[in-house]
Amino acid sequence: MPTKNVTEERLSKFKNKGKDPTKLRDKRITECVELRKAHKDENFLKRRHITLSSLPDEEALSPDYLSNDLVKFLSIEEIIKLVNSDSRESQTRGCQAARKLLSQERNPPLKEIIDAGLLSRFVSFLSMDDEPTLQFEAAWALTNIASGTSWHTQQVVEHGAVPAFISLLASPMLHISEQAVWALGNIAGDGSAYRDVLIECNVIPALLARICPDTPVGYLRNLTWTLSNLCRNKNPFPPLSAVLQMLPSLIQLLHLSDKDILSDACWAISYLTDGDNDRIDVVVKTGIVPRLVELMSHAELGVLTPALRSIGNIVSGSDLQTQTVIDAGVLNALPKLMRYPKASVQKEAVWALSNIAAGPCKQIQQLITCGLLPPLVDRLKNGDFKTQREAVWAVTNFTSGGTVEQVVHLVQCGALEAIINLLQVKDAKVLLVLLDAINNIFMAAEKLGETDKLSLLVEELGGLDRIEMLQSHDNETVYQAAHKLIEKYFGDGELDGVKVEASDDAFVFQSPDVTRTFSF
Amino acid sequence: MELNDANLQTLTEFLRKTLDPDPAVRRPAEKFLESVEGNQNYPLLLLTLLEKSQDNVIRVCAAVTFKNYIKRNWRIVEDEPNKISDPDRTAIKANIVNLMLSSPEQIQKQLSDAISIIGREDFPQKWPDLLTEMVTRFRSGDFHIINGVLRTAHSLFKRYRHEFKSNELWTEIKLVLDTFALPLTELFKATIELCQTHAADVNALKVLFSSLTLISKLFYSLNFQDLPEFFEDNMETWMTNFHGLLTLDNKLLQTDDEEEAGLIELLKSQICDNAALYAQKYDEEFQPYLPRFVTAIWNLLVSTGQEVKYDLLVSNAIQFLASVCERPHYKHLFEDQNTLTSICEKVIVPNMEFRSADEEAFEDNSEEYIRRDLEGSDIDTRRRAACDLVRGLCKFFEGPVTAIFSGYVNSMLSEYAKNPGENWKHKDAAIYLVTSLASKAQTQKHGITQANELVNLTEFFVNHILPDLKSPNVNEFPVLKADAIKYVMIFRSQLPKEQLLEAVPLLLTHLQAESTVEHTYAAHALERLFTMRGPNNTTLITPAEMAPFTEQLLNNLFKALALPGSAENEYIMKAIMRSFSLLQEAIVPYVPTLIGQLTHKLLLVSKNPSKPHFNHYLFESLCLSVRITCKSNPTTVTSFEEALFPVITEILQNDVQEFLPYVFQVMSLLLEIHDNSIPSTYMALFPHLLQPVLWERTGNIPPLVRLLQAYLEKGGAAIATAAADKIPGLLGVFQKLIASKANDHQGFYLLNSIIEHMPPESIIQYRKQIFILLFQRLQSSKTTKFIKSFLVFVNLYCVKYGAIALQEVFDCIQPKMFGMVLEKIVIPEVQKVSGAVEKKICAVGITKILTECPAMMDTEYTKLWIPLLQALIGLFELPEDDSIPDDEHFIDIEDTPGYQTAFSQLAFAGKKEHDPIGDAVGNPKILLAQSLHKLSTACPGRVPSMLSTSLNAEALQFLQGYLQAATVQLV
Repeated sequence: MPTKNVTEERLSKFKNKGKDPTKLRDKRITECVELRKAHKDENFLKRRHITLSSLPDEEALSPDYLSNDLVKFLSIEEIIKLVNSDSRESQTRGCQAARKLLSQERNPPLKEIIDAGLLSRFVSFLSMDDEPTLQFEAAWALTNIASGTSWHTQQVVEHGAVPAFISLLASPMLHISEQAVWALGNIAGDGSAYRDVLIECNVIPALLARICPDTPVGYLRNLTWTLSNLCRNKNPFPPLSAVLQMLPSLIQLLHLSDKDILSDACWAISYLTDGDNDRIDVVVKTGIVPRLVELMSHAELGVLTPALRSIGNIVSGSDLQTQTVIDAGVLNALPKLMRYPKASVQKEAVWALSNIAAGPCKQIQQLITCGLLPPLVDRLKNGDFKTQREAVWAVTNFTSGGTVEQVVHLVQCGALEAIINLLQVKDAKVLLVLLDAINNIFMAAEKLGETDKLSLLVEELGGLDRIEMLQSHDNETVYQAAHKLIEKYFGDGELDGVKVEASDDAFVFQSPDVTRTFSF
Repeated sequence: MELNDANLQTLTEFLRKTLDPDPAVRRPAEKFLESVEGNQNYPLLLLTLLEKSQDNVIRVCAAVTFKNYIKRNWRIVEDEPNKISDPDRTAIKANIVNLMLSSPEQIQKQLSDAISIIGREDFPQKWPDLLTEMVTRFRSGDFHIINGVLRTAHSLFKRYRHEFKSNELWTEIKLVLDTFALPLTELFKATIELCQTHAADVNALKVLFSSLTLISKLFYSLNFQDLPEFFEDNMETWMTNFHGLLTLDNKLLQTDDEEEAGLIELLKSQICDNAALYAQKYDEEFQPYLPRFVTAIWNLLVSTGQEVKYDLLVSNAIQFLASVCERPHYKHLFEDQNTLTSICEKVIVPNMEFRSADEEAFEDNSEEYIRRDLEGSDIDTRRRAACDLVRGLCKFFEGPVTAIFSGYVNSMLSEYAKNPGENWKHKDAAIYLVTSLASKAQTQKHGITQANELVNLTEFFVNHILPDLKSPNVNEFPVLKADAIKYVMIFRSQLPKEQLLEAVPLLLTHLQAESTVEHTYAAHALERLFTMRGPNNTTLITPAEMAPFTEQLLNNLFKALALPGSAENEYIMKAIMRSFSLLQEAIVPYVPTLIGQLTHKLLLVSKNPSKPHFNHYLFESLCLSVRITCKSNPTTVTSFEEALFPVITEILQNDVQEFLPYVFQVMSLLLEIHDNSIPSTYMALFPHLLQPVLWERTGNIPPLVRLLQAYLEKGGAAIATAAADKIPGLLGVFQKLIASKANDHQGFYLLNSIIEHMPPESIIQYRKQIFILLFQRLQSSKTTKFIKSFLVFVNLYCVKYGAIALQEVFDCIQPKMFGMVLEKIVIPEVQKVSGAVEKKICAVGITKILTECPAMMDTEYTKLWIPLLQALIGLFELPEDDSIPDDEHFIDIEDTPGYQTAFSQLAFAGKKEHDPIGDAVGNPKILLAQSLHKLSTACPGRVPSMLSTSLNAEALQFLQGYLQAATVQLV
């Protein structure tokens, strides 16, 4: 059975711990298969109903407004007829009716419209600069289709919509340009492949050109969202040159005060920092870290979540990168987040802490000095399970990298009791990590010659009973780890127990005949 | 093998023979089946038989054989041949589910096991349609089939409960969820509806309830790793129905059996587990449902009876409440005074009551009772669960809970007072309640170390415990007596000394109680009291304080060993050992009698050693009697030998493996007491100790080496004259030991003793061979441990035989060898030597090399002189660490493992550290200074010039310090 030590596996992902320079960080676990619902606080990949900020008054068509629209629901057949007609007016009416169908809340007939072969018509309408209404309606319809599944997006791209939309970005009509921003955001959100197609087609300069002091806030919101999707997704990451192109504008956006812009800009940063140390470095070098730390205390959940995520990513980087974050005051911001009413925020905060605790003793000392241990122990005791799990990692990192004095301090803060209480948790991996932490604490006690004292303390806290119970755990590795602890620290030092020929009653003493030259 | 009738017939016959009670018939048949199982179609023949045979016995037998065959052969191990042909594999997978479902239960179980074994290897990749095949059966409407599917699913999915998260595992779970979760949910709902439809049909209900239990188990497995999206979306359905089932009671399903849990209990118990899982891991999502579950589970507890069949359910349910009540955000659910009172009154108190099952165990199964009550193997019991709930509640509500219970304790005690004969169980519960309420932290070594300050332990002791201990009839109310003794024992660190002293004589009388539990507890309590430490690191209870009771203590302890059921009672034997250790000289007058009893006991248990702890303490007690008596009068050792040698001889002759390591230690202890001579009785044994078979058992090695060392120390000369022909055998042992990385240090112990104690002329002929062997080992495996031992030995040799002899023997093995060893081993490694004596040996040896070896001054070795001196100064200036405290009494011999014949070291057979140099050299630094002085006068000018040109400044400074201290000067 491949019972590789799982603790080691994750430990090797923490920076510094694995001693293997190629995999130094704790990668975000979202790369793995998930059983849970997608994170509710995660940003949307694609959006169907967003508000265009820049519609001219007479066409103020918010989705709410749409339901009372004058345009009647037409059947697909009628739409096909209209769109395929030669009359601009009919085409416009057809597009409008299609867009309306596609905007409906439940089961928009994306596939039917595609199967009807209307996409090439829509794409061709995009370039009709002299028919802005038709252009707009076609863009809207395509946007809605692109917001569907990957297959739907693929249909839009394969009908040549990308260059057409990029050209539309430069449209003098703000609402048309904004519609293009939206459509491109949906296409970029589909995944790395289309994201890179867009980047190849020079979408970035075209987008950035629209950022200027008088760009309306609403427009900037959509544009920031699209930029964030261009930063998003791994395997592969967006090309470094593209990132470098976008970063100055993202930094600029991060200094605005609109919460939606801040949120998406932070998400963008969080995607860019969710990579290896070189990726992180590009972001850290912009000097944005202090602003991100500041945003961790933002009143809006939508802003602080991605800001915290970005900081969490950065502290999983090198010691130097982590130090930048510490210098920016992250340790003053974390305690509040560790007690934030929302459990997912607590979890992210403790995750960040666990990565700082994986650093050198100097950084561990800063955790102590800034008073992070009491909230950590508190989360260990009272956090929800996901937070507790991160806290357990934090403690194990702390105890494996900290000095003896630091480990003693942690125990004095009540961590041992909390660890022992968790030993009945229903998760094999967490159990193993807990046993590792206990083992680390014992190793510190060994250096002080106080293992006996610690054994008694563990027993008093009910730990011995629980570790003994783990000796009957179904998971072989957990059982082994528990067994080793018991044997080493709770047994009573059992003593360990040039080939020689033997006859029945004695060994035959003889040295080999061969004369050989010794050399040591 | 063809799939034909003839083969089926043959197989049937052999299967029948495997059931034959006569091994002469059975074994060949089993062999035959094993020999043909590699043939293609063999598994299919078995499947055919289990389906179609007319004989039911053969069908079951074929099913069992099939399952074992799958278990042995299905897994494909890398680099090993595939043991089942691919067509067979395909055919098995195509038919087995159907077969399983259409078979009677006995066969179904075997096939279900086989499916899970196959599934573990093949599912999901190599068995993609298994799940869909199972799911389709849900629609069959036949609950025998459905339960078969559920059981199989359970055995396939239950590993999700303990395996580590991995992408591979989660991909599988995701796949299972995609196909299985919805049909399972539909089945769950449908089954519950059917339960209502068939509410009056007991047979239908039985089947339906086993389905529900299986479904609940599947729920647990599928939800274990993380909360799946599907179950989060369908939480309402599941939790509402779980809650409904928890509150459901159907009279028809109640069983009369008192012991075996019924279907309702099993189901509810699993639902408690499910709720506990969600409460622990998915608190955020489960929060809206939790209060309802708390109420339902609490009501369930209030209405559940005392019968054993409810134990698992009750302890699961209480554990659920215990885990919830200590969470800050659920505090409010328990806070109300009425709620607390009600939980205390209706949940905790009833589950602390002494039940008839406990009473039976107390009387008839005392070992089990003691294990549960004293050693904490009571994890799943109601009492333990209730105790955990008390502790959980005390986290937030210590004051109110203590107050509520005080009321209960008082009323239970007054019930008892009214009619002790009738109501003694009330007092038992009261004591248990006080104990669980008062103890906040506990260890085996010290008992309760932290107590609830709101409970007055001393007052309770005086008013309620002492009267029971004092009661003249020790055999009346044995349970209460045991409770009282246990109270003293576990609260020993909390009670004032005067009360403990008051209790001691009372405990002595309880050693005579008929009840095994009671006299065992008395012995255990005494043993624990005797290990308590007072001020100044002495024992809390002094030998002087015990003086008036010494005789009674020893008498009663030994008499207790004669009580029925306690002939090998480890608690009593441990108390004997501890008493000896405490009383010291005071036992001497009694030893002549006691040693007879102990050796008699030893003779008895050596016939069939079965209680390792008892035996260990027996040997410890023997060693203590020897040591204590011989300390003041060493000549008495012969009387011990007279008493012990017959038993020892018998043990050696019968090769009682468990006892040999002990016997060697006892013999060492005895021999070491002798003046410098070796009695002939020992000499007669000497050749036997060199037998290879003894040295093959690792547990024998340390005590045997020690014994041989004792032989050499006391009779090195005698061996050289009377047993010179045994010297090669002795060296053979050394050779055997240094060949092992684990035992090489033991080989050096032996070699050092040989060098130290044997007359030089008796070993001179072997010395070259000895060094060649050591070099050989150094060449092949240079471990730190070996090097450390090697350095000590080389220097000891030098001290004993002189530096010139050392240099000569090295250089005659190979030219320049001496220089190489100094340069490559001694100089770089000597800093690693640890231990005061070992360092001293090295210091003296190196001093001799530096100052008494002409080759060091006149040959090419001269270049090593300064580096060697520098290394020596380094050795001196390393921080001293090692000293072994002479702390005999408190040496912790708690859970000495004696289950294997691994070496069980006897604490009281301990050996004093031996210093072969002893007083000959007081301070090696002074010796170095003096020796250098001597050397410098022999060749004036050379030493100072070497020092001033090459020795580093720091070392020179240290050296000048030594010279000053020795008041000598170099010339």
